[in-house]
Amino acid sequence: MQKNNSQFTFKSYLDLAQLLKQYQGNHEDNRVFALTQTTKGSKLLTLWKDKNLFRVVDELDSSKYLHYLTLFTSLFGFALLLLGLFTGFALLSYSGKEPVNVIYLLLVMVGLPLLSMLLTVLSMFTGNLGASFFNHLSPLYYLEKIINFFPFAKKIDFSALPFSATLSKWIFLQRLQLFSFLFALGLFFSLVLTIISKDIAFAWSSTLDIDPVAFQGVLAMLATPWQSFFPSAVPSLELVEVSHYFRLGEKLDANMIQNADKLGAWWKFLAMATLTYALLLRLVFWFMMKLGFKAQLKKEVLAVVGVKKLLKEFETPFVSTQSFKQEKHLEVKEEVTIAASEVLADNYAYLLAWNYSEKTLLLLQDHNKVEVTNRQVVGGRNSFSEDQRIVDGLEGKILLYVKAWEPPTMDFMDFLTDVLAQKEVTTVEVCPLGTVTEGYSSKKSDIDVWLKKLEQINSEKLEVIDV
Amino acid sequence: MSSYPKFAVVGHPNKGKSSIVASLALDNSIQIGNTPGTTQVKRGFPLKVDGKVVYELFDTPGFQRARRVFSWLEEHGDVSADKRADIVREFVFKHKENNQFRDEVELLEPILAGAGIIYVVDASKPYGAEYEVEMEILRWCGQPSMAILNLIGDEDYREDWSRALGQYFRLVRTYNPITAGHREHLELLESMAQLKEEWTNPIKKAIGVLENLHEQKIENSISTIVDYMVNVLSFVHTENIKDEVLSQEEEEAAKVAYREKIIRYEVNERASIERIWNHNNIEKKEGALSLEDVGLFSKESASIFGLSQKELIVTGASAGALTGVGFDLLTAGHSLFLGSVIGGVVGGVGAMFGFDNLYEVKVLGQSLGKRELSIGPMQNLNFPYVLLGRSLYHASTIAKRSHAVRSDLDLNNNSFTEKIMEASMRKELEKLHGKLRKSDEVEDELLVAYKKVIRESFRQLLD
Repeated sequence: MQKNNSQFTFKSYLDLAQLLKQYQGNHEDNRVFALTQTTKGSKLLTLWKDKNLFRVVDELDSSKYLHYLTLFTSLFGFALLLLGLFTGFALLSYSGKEPVNVIYLLLVMVGLPLLSMLLTVLSMFTGNLGASFFNHLSPLYYLEKIINFFPFAKKIDFSALPFSATLSKWIFLQRLQLFSFLFALGLFFSLVLTIISKDIAFAWSSTLDIDPVAFQGVLAMLATPWQSFFPSAVPSLELVEVSHYFRLGEKLDANMIQNADKLGAWWKFLAMATLTYALLLRLVFWFMMKLGFKAQLKKEVLAVVGVKKLLKEFETPFVSTQSFKQEKHLEVKEEVTIAASEVLADNYAYLLAWNYSEKTLLLLQDHNKVEVTNRQVVGGRNSFSEDQRIVDGLEGKILLYVKAWEPPTMDFMDFLTDVLAQKEVTTVEVCPLGTVTEGYSSKKSDIDVWLKKLEQINSEKLEVIDV
Repeated sequence: MSSYPKFAVVGHPNKGKSSIVASLALDNSIQIGNTPGTTQVKRGFPLKVDGKVVYELFDTPGFQRARRVFSWLEEHGDVSADKRADIVREFVFKHKENNQFRDEVELLEPILAGAGIIYVVDASKPYGAEYEVEMEILRWCGQPSMAILNLIGDEDYREDWSRALGQYFRLVRTYNPITAGHREHLELLESMAQLKEEWTNPIKKAIGVLENLHEQKIENSISTIVDYMVNVLSFVHTENIKDEVLSQEEEEAAKVAYREKIIRYEVNERASIERIWNHNNIEKKEGALSLEDVGLFSKESASIFGLSQKELIVTGASAGALTGVGFDLLTAGHSLFLGSVIGGVVGGVGAMFGFDNLYEVKVLGQSLGKRELSIGPMQNLNFPYVLLGRSLYHASTIAKRSHAVRSDLDLNNNSFTEKIMEASMRKELEKLHGKLRKSDEVEDELLVAYKKVIRESFRQLLD
C-alpha cells in the first residue's frame, strides 16, 4: 500500500502509531528535525517516522497486518474470480433443449451488483452502528470472521491496532468493491468464453405476466449508457417478443426456431450490461472507497496518540533557558565542629568592629557594656594600609564585632588570619551581631554560616561569641 | 563580540544572585545555599529560540576580596575615566591564574566581554559602606548597569539602599526571586531593555518569546489534565479468574490493582506537569490519593477538592435536566418542559445514589469458557471532582512556583473547592464525566468544551 515516502499511506499510519507508542522524541529534537526539512504537515510526519522507525525493535504491526490483509485479499479475490467464472458457466449452461433465461443472468450480472452498491452507499453514509448493520448483510463479513480462526490471523492482536471502527468500515468497503469486481470479472469471462465456444439461445421467461413492451422499456433504460455508440447491444422490441419463452412448451416453439439466429443477439446486451454495471460502475465505487478511506486515514493519523503533540513541537519554536555548563557544586558541610560561647569577657584590650562605622561602634559598646582599652573600626572604608597599621598594634585579648547577616568574605578571613598571626594577641573573640531592629541578636542560621567558615582557621586563639 | 545582550548578575556573597538567575532562567537545578561561595564559577544561561541566543544571563561568584582588587586598580589606574575599563581588564589578565582573585576574575570576565551589570543587594538588611568598593569596581568597568533590591528577610531598608545605589547605577528595581511570578519576570526584563539602546529590541523579543512559552506551558498543562481525567475516568481493569465464581481474594487483589493503577495515573500526571514547568525533583507534602471506602470518600475528605453530597445532587440534577431539554425540543416544547423536570429529578436521584457507589466489579463470561473480572469505570460521582481539584491545585501551584524556591511543595489545602467548582462549570464537566462513567464514546466537541472549562479554572487559579 505504501507508494512513496512523501505520501501518508496505511502502512505509514500503522508504523507511526507503533513508533509513537515507544518513542515520541523531545521538543528540541523534533523542532530541529522540522527546521532541517522543507516539507510540513503529514509529509513531515512521514519523514520523521522514517527517520525514527529503527527504534521499533519488535516486528512491525504493519508487516503482520498488511501480510494478513494481502493474503486474505489474494485468497478471496482468487476464490471470487473462480466463483464468478463458475457461476457464469452454470447460468449459461445450455443443452439445446431449453434457452438460457436472460432474467437470471440480469439478476446476477446487474441486480446483485446494484444491490451490493446500494448497501455500500448505505454503509458509507451511516455511522458506526448503521454501517455495522449493513456490513453484516454482506457475505464478506462472515468470510472474514471465518478467516480469523486461521493460524496466521491469530498472530495479530487486532485490539492493539490503532484504527477506529470507521476506518475498519472503509477497509471493508474497499475490499468489498474489489471482490465484487473480481466476481463480476469471472462472470464476464464466462460469458465471453461461452459465447465463443457455444451457440446459445437466450430467451426470457417469468411467472409474472410481464408485457414485452414494458420489459423492452426497462432493458432500453438499462442500455442507455451505450445506446449511442453501440445500438446493436440494445434489445429491440422484436427481439424481446421473439425470445419470450413459456414453460409449458415441451421444446422451443416454432416462432423461436424460425428466429434462432436472432436469439443469440442477447449476448451483446448482457456483455455490455456486465461491463457497465458490474465492472465499470464497480471501479467507480472502488475509486470512491479509496478516496473515502484516504480521507478517513488522514483524520485517524491526527487521532493517533502523540501525533498532535509531535506536530505542535514541529511548529513551535524550541525555547531553552538552561545553562549547558555543568555546575561546580560546593561541598557544604552540614555539621559544625566548633561551638559559639554565649558569654563576653569583662574586659578586652581591643574592640574591633568589622565593616561598622565609628558611630555604630559607640552604640554597640554601650549596648553590650563591654570594657575596652582601645576601640577601632576595621574593614569597610578603611584602606589596607590603615588596617595593617591597626593589626600591627594589636595585643592581648581582642573582641571583634562582625555583622552576622553578612557572611564572612575572604577579605575578612585574610584580616582575621593577620590578627591571629600577631604574637602579642592572646585571644580573638569573633562576635557576630544582628541588626538594630533585632536588638543586635544574631540568628542561629547566620551564626552557623560564621562557624562553618571560621572553623577553616585552625587556631586555638580563635573563639566565637553568640550574644 | 557576540551581538546579543548579556547580563552578569553580580554582588556580595549570599545576596540572592543565584536565586535571581534561577528565577529568570526558569531553572530550579541551580545550587542555592546560605553558605557563602556556593557559586564558584560563572555560568551562562542563554535564552535560546531554536538554538539562536536572544540574550544571556551570567550567574557569578560574589566579591571576596573587593578591597584588594580596588587597591590594585587605584595603584595602577591614575587614568582618565575612559581608560579605567582597560585597567580592570589588565587586572583580570594578570590575575587569571591567581587563586586569590578567582572569584573576582570570574565575575569581571563577562562584564569586560560586554555584559550589562545587574548588581544584587539584600534590601532587608541595613546598608553598609563596605559595598561601595564593589560598586566602585563595577563603575570602573564602564558597562550599563542596574541594581536589584532583593528582599530576603522581613525588614525593609530599600530607601537607604536606593539613595546609595542611585549614585552608581542607572536603574534600581525591586525583585524578589522567591515570590516573583511571570509578570514580575517580564517587568524586570523590560527594565533590562532600557539599559542600552541596542538591547531594547532583543529584550523585547525575549519578552515575547517568554510570553509565548508561558502560554504554551498553560496549554500543555490543560491538555495533560484533560488526558489524565479521560484516562482515569474511563479506566477499566480486567483480569482472568480461575473458577466460575469470583473468590474474595481475587476480588480484593483486583481492587488493589485497580487502585494502584489510578494512583499511578496521578503520579504520572504530576510528573508531566512538573516537567512542563521545568520543576524537577520537587519534594511534595501531600496526602496520598486514597481510594479506600473510608478516607477519600468519607464525609471529611469529600469536602477537600470534591463536592458535598448536596452540591453533587445539584450538579447531577442540572446535567440530567440538560438531557430532558432534548425531549422538550423534540416535542417542540409541547411537553410543557416536563422533560427538563423529569431529567432533573432522574439526574439528582442518580447523584444521590452515586455518592457512595465507588466502582462495580463485574464477572464476564467469555466465548471460550474463560471468565474475566472487570472493575471500572469509576462510578462515584464525587471522584472526578476530587481528581480534578487535586490536579488543578497541583498544576497551578507548580505554575506559580518560582524556580528559586527550594522548599518542599505543600499541596495540602482545604479551602480550594469554591475557586474551581462554580455551578456553571460543574454542569459542563458533568457532561463528560457522565459519558466516561458509561464508557460512551466521547465526541471531540465535548472534549473541546471540557478543555474550555478547565482552561477557565486554571487561569483563574493563576491570576
